[in-house]
Amino acid sequence: MSALLAFVGWCSTAAPIVFLRDSRYGMPAVQSVHLVGITVFLAAVVVLDVRLAGVGMTDWSLPWLQRQLKPWALGAGALVVLSGVLIFLGTPSKYLGSNPFRVKMTVLGLAMLFHAGVVRRFIDSDPDSRPRRGHFLVAGVSLTLWFLAGWAGRAIAFVP
Amino acid sequence: MSVVGWCEWLEHTPFVLAIAESTWLFPLIEGSHILTLPLSVGLIMIVDLRLLGLAFRDGPLSRIMPELLRWSKTGFAVMFVTGVLLFTTHAGQAYGNTFFRVKLVLLLTLGINAAAYQAIFYPRMAQWDQARRTPLGARICAGLSLVVWIGVIICGRTMAYQL
Repeated sequence: MSALLAFVGWCSTAAPIVFLRDSRYGMPAVQSVHLVGITVFLAAVVVLDVRLAGVGMTDWSLPWLQRQLKPWALGAGALVVLSGVLIFLGTPSKYLGSNPFRVKMTVLGLAMLFHAGVVRRFIDSDPDSRPRRGHFLVAGVSLTLWFLAGWAGRAIAFVP
Repeated sequence: MSVVGWCEWLEHTPFVLAIAESTWLFPLIEGSHILTLPLSVGLIMIVDLRLLGLAFRDGPLSRIMPELLRWSKTGFAVMFVTGVLLFTTHAGQAYGNTFFRVKLVLLLTLGINAAAYQAIFYPRMAQWDQARRTPLGARICAGLSLVVWIGVIICGRTMAYQL
């Protein structure tokens, strides 16, 4: 653990990170990339969950929607992670001591586990678009987890 | 009264002061503004990608587009209300901020672009439903929309550092 912290500390003093942190538009630029990535990624989540809940996009099958959105969701997700790491390394102490940051990472982990373990199975079963209580619930939990991670991220700026 | 004067007056009205000074209201409105991006702009970007032939290629456009736009309209309603409220809390500074001004110009451009698409291409959309390639003009509208929306997000995020 202490070796990891030392590594993080070393990274945060590396020239490119210092440049990003101390230049006028460095962090706003990285934060903008983070936000554009989140916008595309969560839009894909919304489309899938709305269809799973049976309240919209009912003309298309879930596996088809999933296939169409996957490359964009993965690309956007990669941008989010990459920019997120840069933001974190800019001021690691700010994030390591932040409660909302811990909540964000925990909820993010839960959202990914829930997608891989539960949502994926529902998508693969290729359900028709008739609204069902179970599907509605799964979509609701998925949307809640992903957006909760977003809210926790926003809270970093306001809550210690 | 000058525009700056009006902005400063607006910022100090009791209603706006109550939002700006509230512990929860401002973060709640700002959070809503940002987290409605996927529903509003995100879905528009998916439509743009479809028009450019980069996503949803084998699905009929005339059915996909209205469905995505229906959801996105709800998002834009939230964006507009929260955006206006956010502006009122920093009206004076925002008015003089370059990124805010550029953001407004970009939004105006997007409005004109969307109106042009609606007038020229929307009525004929069913004709190229199954076509892999949409008409050049439609692709130009979509490309412009995609790039300018990214510009709007960059301006919005950057101005938050300066107010």
